[in-house]
Amino acid sequence: MQTLLALVDCNNFYVSCERVFRPDLIRKPMLVLSNNDGCVVARSKEVKDLGIKMGVPLFQIQQLVKQHQIKLFSSNYTLYADMSSRVMSTLEAFAPTMEVYSIDEAFLDLTGVCYQDPIAYGHLIKKTVVRATGIPVCVGMGPTKTLAKLANFAAKKWCKTGGVLDLSDPVRREKLMRIVPVGEVWGIGSRTTVKLQHLGIHSVWDLATQSSQRIQSQFNIVVAKTVMELNGTSCFQLEEISANKQQIVCSRSFSRRLTEYKELFEALAEFCSRAGEKLRRQHSVTGCLTIFIRTSPFNIHEPQYQRSATIKLGAATQDTRILINAADRLLKEIFKTGYSYQKCGVQLSLIRSESTPGQFELFDISDNDLPMENRPLMATVDQINRRFPKAISIAATGFEQSWKPRAERISPRYTTDWQELAHVK
Amino acid sequence: MAIPLFSGKVAAGFPSPADDYIEKNLDLNELLVQKPAATFFVRAQGESMLGAGIHPNDILVVDRSIDPVPGKIVICALNGELTVKRLARDNEQWQLKAENPDYPDIVIYEELDMVIWGVVTNVIHAL
Repeated sequence: MQTLLALVDCNNFYVSCERVFRPDLIRKPMLVLSNNDGCVVARSKEVKDLGIKMGVPLFQIQQLVKQHQIKLFSSNYTLYADMSSRVMSTLEAFAPTMEVYSIDEAFLDLTGVCYQDPIAYGHLIKKTVVRATGIPVCVGMGPTKTLAKLANFAAKKWCKTGGVLDLSDPVRREKLMRIVPVGEVWGIGSRTTVKLQHLGIHSVWDLATQSSQRIQSQFNIVVAKTVMELNGTSCFQLEEISANKQQIVCSRSFSRRLTEYKELFEALAEFCSRAGEKLRRQHSVTGCLTIFIRTSPFNIHEPQYQRSATIKLGAATQDTRILINAADRLLKEIFKTGYSYQKCGVQLSLIRSESTPGQFELFDISDNDLPMENRPLMATVDQINRRFPKAISIAATGFEQSWKPRAERISPRYTTDWQELAHVK
Repeated sequence: MAIPLFSGKVAAGFPSPADDYIEKNLDLNELLVQKPAATFFVRAQGESMLGAGIHPNDILVVDRSIDPVPGKIVICALNGELTVKRLARDNEQWQLKAENPDYPDIVIYEELDMVIWGVVTNVIHAL
């Protein structure tokens, strides 16, 4: 039986999430900004048509925003995460196995599920998801992940497809590959694209007709596998179980420059809290904490400074208080007065499952007077915070948090907060 | 929220002989939400649906996956605004009807900017 994979990808996901609760914005130009309202991270079709690119800083497009009355939104990740899980659980019903690839994409294994009429099945998926969640999606299908991804690209780009395209047929495949530039292939980055172009490989078809051995010798195994995938030989498997993160990073730019130790420490403590929460949610412990602080690379007239510091923890932990304590010690080592700090962050590594017996030292001679690990305490805090968001925080995170990134245009958390539900007349 | 359901009375002070009979916990989600992924809560404003038992500030349980057939109370996006009305079909003509004589019915014409958003399944009304 021929393998059939589908990539289901949400259209302009963040924009679509906002529009579910703001039908007045349908067909209006709108965009979503990154943390701190700095750069464009999602665009409606109307905004794409104006030529505004992904990632541009807001200040560079102020004129267009004014001229076309583009609606701006701060990113509302609480809302997007909830809408994403609704989309994903709706998709689960359509395939025995599925890989959630990102917040707005999933691969479905449809082998043997819909051999009679894959296109009709694709339309059913599309219709069901938009109906249940309000989020429009496109469905790309093919015998490999790379082809499913390519089919999705084409389904999005050409409305003639009706948002569903199957590239199982080699004839149709060739027709499409001849007109799509090679840079659109999944996993082919901008640097590889330039190198390929130097070799005269411009279209997807040019790449697909290369020998994979030759490509492997000039590039690497991943590009060679991509060539095979474009020809219908599956090399990338569906990864069903979302592997626990091996690294957890929490960092933000500040809404204003920070100069005091206390402020910087509060921000770090907040990031430690969030990192700790993530760690506990995936039932892991960490053995290593890194912090970093830096001034703004854009303020070229001010003195520049950036440092990071790492500590290996005596015993692996998931206790926020231990992380904050360790961060405090690290910050004391690298903090210097006289600088305007723009960003800081924490990173947890050496992550492993909480049930793995660690090298807990026989006598936890915390050389460092770190508090004792208290898992029940942290579990209780998490439980309370899940019910009453932000009810309990460690005092070190501060109360004002005036460093918090700007999110002046954030929409309500329509689906996760009783106080912020959408109103109906 | 989990409320234990007992099938016998509980005697205070004694180890209850009914302990063995705890059958399950009652979960309001089970009663009110059939399809979690498609279920949204919204808050009612105004009095156009008083006759249907929808009061200002009530929370409506909305299932987007249910077919909006005539007779259902629906949420729709009308001219860019979310509104709750009863969907009706009289003599081949689709209408959105308020359940309050002070509010006029809305006849759905082709050119009207109207999309059905979901079907209201329950009202949560605080007393």
